[in-house]
Amino acid sequence: MSDTRNDGDGPDRHVCERCGDAYPSARLLTLHRGARHPDDLTADEVEAYREAYYAEERELKSFRIRALGVLVLMYFGFLILFILFAS
Amino acid sequence: MNRTTTLRRFGVSLLFASLVSLLAAPVAASNGAVGLAGASQDNLAVPQWLYLATGGATVGASALLASFVTDRRFIERVHSWRTSVALDDVVRRGLGIVGSVLGLALLGFIVYLGFTGPQAPTLNFAIIVTFAGLRAGYTMFTYLVGDTWRAVNPWRTVATLLPNGFVEYPHKLGRWPAVAGILALVWVETAAGVTRQPNLLAMAVAGYSVLTLLGALLVGPDDWFDCADPVSVFLRFYGRVAPIRWNDEDGLSVRLPGMRLVTDDEVTDLADIAVAVVLVWELTFSGFVTTEQGAAAITAVVEAGLPALVVYGVLYLGGFAAFLGLYVLASHLTVRRIETFETPRALAVRFAPSLLAIAVGYHLAHYFAFSVSLSPMLVGALTAPLSPPANPVVLTLPAWFGALNVVFVLLGHLLAVWVAHSQAYDTFPSRMQAIRSQLPFVVVMIFYTIVSLWLVSLPTASPPFL
Ligand SMILES: [Zn+2]
Repeated sequence: MSDTRNDGDGPDRHVCERCGDAYPSARLLTLHRGARHPDDLTADEVEAYREAYYAEERELKSFRIRALGVLVLMYFGFLILFILFAS
Repeated sequence: MNRTTTLRRFGVSLLFASLVSLLAAPVAASNGAVGLAGASQDNLAVPQWLYLATGGATVGASALLASFVTDRRFIERVHSWRTSVALDDVVRRGLGIVGSVLGLALLGFIVYLGFTGPQAPTLNFAIIVTFAGLRAGYTMFTYLVGDTWRAVNPWRTVATLLPNGFVEYPHKLGRWPAVAGILALVWVETAAGVTRQPNLLAMAVAGYSVLTLLGALLVGPDDWFDCADPVSVFLRFYGRVAPIRWNDEDGLSVRLPGMRLVTDDEVTDLADIAVAVVLVWELTFSGFVTTEQGAAAITAVVEAGLPALVVYGVLYLGGFAAFLGLYVLASHLTVRRIETFETPRALAVRFAPSLLAIAVGYHLAHYFAFSVSLSPMLVGALTAPLSPPANPVVLTLPAWFGALNVVFVLLGHLLAVWVAHSQAYDTFPSRMQAIRSQLPFVVVMIFYTIVSLWLVSLPTASPPFL
């Protein structure tokens, strides 16, 4: 239920019919509609939203692991710095 | 789900550990207002670079921690929680009248006693009420509780009683006149001696009253106090952080502190962004010029042959331009990092309210201790304006009060990180985008934190050549 068009140059515009917001990819439009207008979706679209959502969940999980790594490094880094330099 | 909770818990304890380690180091400094403050300073027990790095890292770590919170519904629940208390019409009108009378009386006393009262800053009503009262205490009330300036503002009271609105306010100017006005007022405060000489202050207030009334009568009080009047815009922007708001429909509306910044689209253009940046910058600037290191740097440049006012002016306006530029640059970098049709300008506008949370943290760091120690003086002045005390009482604060400054700066940034996080979730459909979009802004915030923590840790001095 979305209209996709390309104004010459630049990326495609995937426009939300409900609120007029435009996104550069169909995936982003799917995520937008799922998050903002969940009641408008047909069963197929709900399925597509779920899929996009869980695909992103995997990406988020890998981000969280990296973020946690950074936090742990920071924690021990600062712990060592404080032991060495603070008096 | 379970793992995320564990991660989050681990993160929170990390955050506390870093806060505790900061607190354990006796960082004490007072960086009060330019004229009234006395200074005290202890030495850092941690080396300065480590203290600054820890502060910056705390902000970075909290942004990472916030990125673990990816549940849209939870984020929305936090910023849309609200409740309201109905306020009786009679009560509301009564309070309005009390506010107006109070405002007019204060303005009258400030001008009158500024000229006729004792010409010593710690004894004079005008100086005490303007700086310990309005600049410090009332501003704090405005962001911690609610913005009452609309009712108190004596110039609005007068302007609404007279015929007004002869020309249309040029709306394309936006709030730029207020930005210029705030910069000008802070300049006067720093450079013109109004914090030390009551009669100068009274003259400045009288001049300001004339200009304000002329402006308000010319374009009408609503447009003038909304866009052009520096004091009203200053307080109104601070008031956006406050939990309470008075409005006509539902009386008192109560929200979690800072959460109006996420939901109320009150920042709309570059001028509004500039107002938010100017609130952060003016405190950074007055922090800088009142430290020994800042004073030494300025002295060095002036002795190299540049006129003092030029040095201050370049530092003041140049620093403001740099702060604003960095922030706008962050929005350009963000747009380049992610797939979106949002323009850099639109994103800058979106994230600008989080700057107000930072400004609140800085304001508390600069003025909280100051205002507590001068509170007996302020109460004395307000209860007996016409009989100044022979010996003004100043509370001596325990040494740990200095550590509060660090806590305030960090709390302001933490609130800002959360506001930016919620804003990002409101803007981007993809949660990964929401996380990535914040990175440049977080880097800018870390920079602001480090600068500010550095200033808070330096010994204070009075600015040279002014
Ligand atoms: Zn939509």
